[in-house]
Amino acid sequence: MNWEAFLVGMLPEHILLGGMLLLIVQAIVSDHPQGAASPSIVIVAGAALASLWLGVTGFEAAPFPGQVVVTPASSFGKAIAIALALPVLLLARDDLGDGGPLYPLLLSSLYGLALMLSSDSFLTLFLALELMSLPVYVLVLLGWKRESTPEAALKYLVLGGAATATLLMGISLLYGQSGTLALSSYSQALGSPYTLATGGCVLVLVAFFMKAAIVPFHAWAPDAYDGASIPVTAYMAAIVKAGVLLAGVRLVAEAPLSPVVVGLLTVLPLASIVWGNLAAMKQPGLRRMLAYSSIAHAGYLFLAFLALGPARQPSLLFYLLVYGLMTVLALSVVPADDDDGRRDRLELLQGLYQRQPFAAIVLGLAMLSLAGIPPLPGFVAKFTIFREVMAAGHTWVAVAGLVGSYLGLYFYLRVIQLTFMSPPPHAAVGIMPMRAAAWGAALICLVPTLVLTLLPGWVLARLL
Amino acid sequence: MSEAFALQCVLWLPLAGMLGIALVPAHAPGRVRAIAFWTMVLQFLLTAWLYLRFDAAASGLQFATRAPWIAEWGVYFSIGLDGYNVLLVLLTGFLGPLVVAGSFSAVDKEHKLFYAMVLLIQFAMMGTFLAQDLFVFYVFWETMLIPMFLLIGIWGGPRRIYATLKFVLYTAFGSILMLAAVIYLVYAANQAGVNSYAIADLSRLQLPPEVQAWLFAAFALSFAIKVPVFPLHTWLPDAHVEAPTTGSVILAGVLLKMGTYGFIKLGFPLFPAATLQFAPTILVLAVASIVIGACLALVQDDIKKIIAYSSISHLGYVMLGLISLDLIGIQGAIMQMVSHGLTAAGLFLVVGMIYERCHTRELAAYGGLAKLVPLYSVAFMVLTLASIGLPTTSGFTGEFLVLLGAFRSAWAQHLGGDSFALAPTAIAVTGVVLGALYMLRFAASFLFGPTRAPVARLTDLNRREASILAALIAAIFWLGLFPDQPLRKTEAAAREMQQRVTSAAGTAFHAGTTR
Repeated sequence: MNWEAFLVGMLPEHILLGGMLLLIVQAIVSDHPQGAASPSIVIVAGAALASLWLGVTGFEAAPFPGQVVVTPASSFGKAIAIALALPVLLLARDDLGDGGPLYPLLLSSLYGLALMLSSDSFLTLFLALELMSLPVYVLVLLGWKRESTPEAALKYLVLGGAATATLLMGISLLYGQSGTLALSSYSQALGSPYTLATGGCVLVLVAFFMKAAIVPFHAWAPDAYDGASIPVTAYMAAIVKAGVLLAGVRLVAEAPLSPVVVGLLTVLPLASIVWGNLAAMKQPGLRRMLAYSSIAHAGYLFLAFLALGPARQPSLLFYLLVYGLMTVLALSVVPADDDDGRRDRLELLQGLYQRQPFAAIVLGLAMLSLAGIPPLPGFVAKFTIFREVMAAGHTWVAVAGLVGSYLGLYFYLRVIQLTFMSPPPHAAVGIMPMRAAAWGAALICLVPTLVLTLLPGWVLARLL
Repeated sequence: MSEAFALQCVLWLPLAGMLGIALVPAHAPGRVRAIAFWTMVLQFLLTAWLYLRFDAAASGLQFATRAPWIAEWGVYFSIGLDGYNVLLVLLTGFLGPLVVAGSFSAVDKEHKLFYAMVLLIQFAMMGTFLAQDLFVFYVFWETMLIPMFLLIGIWGGPRRIYATLKFVLYTAFGSILMLAAVIYLVYAANQAGVNSYAIADLSRLQLPPEVQAWLFAAFALSFAIKVPVFPLHTWLPDAHVEAPTTGSVILAGVLLKMGTYGFIKLGFPLFPAATLQFAPTILVLAVASIVIGACLALVQDDIKKIIAYSSISHLGYVMLGLISLDLIGIQGAIMQMVSHGLTAAGLFLVVGMIYERCHTRELAAYGGLAKLVPLYSVAFMVLTLASIGLPTTSGFTGEFLVLLGAFRSAWAQHLGGDSFALAPTAIAVTGVVLGALYMLRFAASFLFGPTRAPVARLTDLNRREASILAALIAAIFWLGLFPDQPLRKTEAAAREMQQRVTSAAGTAFHAGTTR
């Protein structure tokens, strides 16, 4: 073990782990366990800053050689995912209370995510993936008020279990073929002619497809997103998805892809884009709609794997940053309502502009950005991915993906149509002024959005 | 003040105005209007000054600025004036204050959002004209969609949601294919060692003809939807009818020029071989737009629809002039774009003024307005005659030059042995007659004959309305009587484009024979 690398390189993990233990101790010792939100925010902000610092300074080391490595790319990934948890925490404090198991669980999930992005062997990867996922099953259930919530949590759990099993099967096939658990065995197996290796590669990839909700493994996402409370939906959509995708791209690394994998990475993501965008048109609530939207976005993200080796990670990072910001932004301004189930119903968002202009404008910006309309950052993000896909020679895949993204335009515009162009409904939703937490979360997301809009080149240059 | 800085101001002023509007409290519509109006006036003064400073003798970009935006990809935020855009920038700047002044009495709700969107679309339109970098062009091109989506969707008529979604979904479909073509074009440029999005650099590429054909098809589809060229025009009547007057004026005045501007700025110079290959198709579609647009205008009983279909016909002339690839034809097309911007904007304004008074757009509801509102009727008649293309108005300059150019190029082909070469132009000329027919039919039943009005006491133009129309009519006569100076400013660019396309004739001919 390398002490300096361990202390400095894993600083974000240490902060998260220490913070989590602190919160648990506080919960045990204190008579009325309240006031966990503010320390959590400080801890998460510290961890995000530490990751950002490691990324900017280009810190590279192996704290546990063969198990954990720290690279600038992994640090940037952590910084993005962990920083996105800040607005989520603000929203959670408002919706789910200032204490309870939420905060330690969320921190432990983030700890798993950070560890996963640094993992260098399948052993660490698997452990970290579970550490990230298990708390989320509970988070979905937290503060549940609706019949659909336990069902959603169960679906998520069962799917998670299936993904775990598939992943393990794939790992064992790869181990059987290569005799090592090193993460690099995956990228080597991509070029291997053996059926065993290809089978392992495909199974591992399918496990990631399940986790990221790619068609046909997507059915859990709408129910889980809809059943969870809004901060947890934001956490799943923005942060867990970022973790899964960034771990996936670590596996593929910069290796050339075999034809089977290229086929898999073409057909299923394209199907996700088309189906996600089509199905989103019919959804009655924002959470369900964003779930289908996230299925389509997972499609764009996996298309980035088709890019030439060195271009994969930066284009993914940029896209995940933008996509995460926009998803959290959209969910942050959903008006408060006593009934958690109906607060994001689209028909109740009608005429939102007349009641809460700021919320409506923010929601509209998020929708346009998710749809990829310039000058919002979602456009540059999509442009980056399709540019790289085309540069790798997959011209028609890029064209099909772009045409698929056109299908998504309608339902994003529909949200703007309802919030700006329809008269408000009579039901008393969102009559209350916007809450402080919603303002805070929206502003936290808006500042980087503005930077990404005006200076996308500056950000891209730092991620490359 | 340097000209380059003034040009930057022209671009960014509307955004500054938006910021100003955001800071004004919602219950003060008067201040919101004042900010929007004076921003536009200032912008127009700057564009007018830049127009005068624009050197007609020099070729290439003037007053250009260039700053790195996404430096790794070679994307530069570069803008500048050239012969292609100088008149259109002037037109956009000129219409800006008139659009705002014309909306004072028409907007009944959400003043802040309304004027913010008018300024935003002004910003996006200016940016599209000024952009000299393909990426920047695309960003501005798409940005235009959203303010127009809201302008029609919030302040429009009863079927506004349908109309605005149709508008956005039609244009966005073209845009997404254009985006694919942009990405591929730049990829091809990278393969050739050009790491740049600058339009000037990209037009120097020597792309194989079949690649050009694909890329041109994608660009042309996007532009043709925006023009709109028959048969992709069906969004336009809906959008015009449902849009508020301001939306119609912006749409007809400037937005409809985007498609044709795209053809001269990008479509033809970037893909010269493909332009020649597709020229016969474009020629047929242009003539079809002229004749079919005019025929459709002839049978409408909604006054806004008449002008909407007449726009399709008039933009058909622009396409005809461009595809003639004749120097006079191209310059005439640019002139026709500006002229149509003035007359169509004026006609939508006068129609909007009567609609504000009577709340109906049915042609049959009106008659003999010349006796009721004489001043209004004079303005209406002048705009109608300009739209028909009466000599001394801008419409004549544009249409005449377009037809002259089209004949010159067709005559050359005729002498070259193509016995059908003159047919399209000959058919296009009938559009002039049809144009006179539908506009005069409109004016005759509207202004003359038995007096009929939906409202008992019809008031004539007030001072604000009269000033707006007087400014427009002055501009129409200026271009009709003194077209020399503006035409000379477009000459260098038109010649450059013509030479670029015709110099590709050899390769295109070769590609044509091998196929």
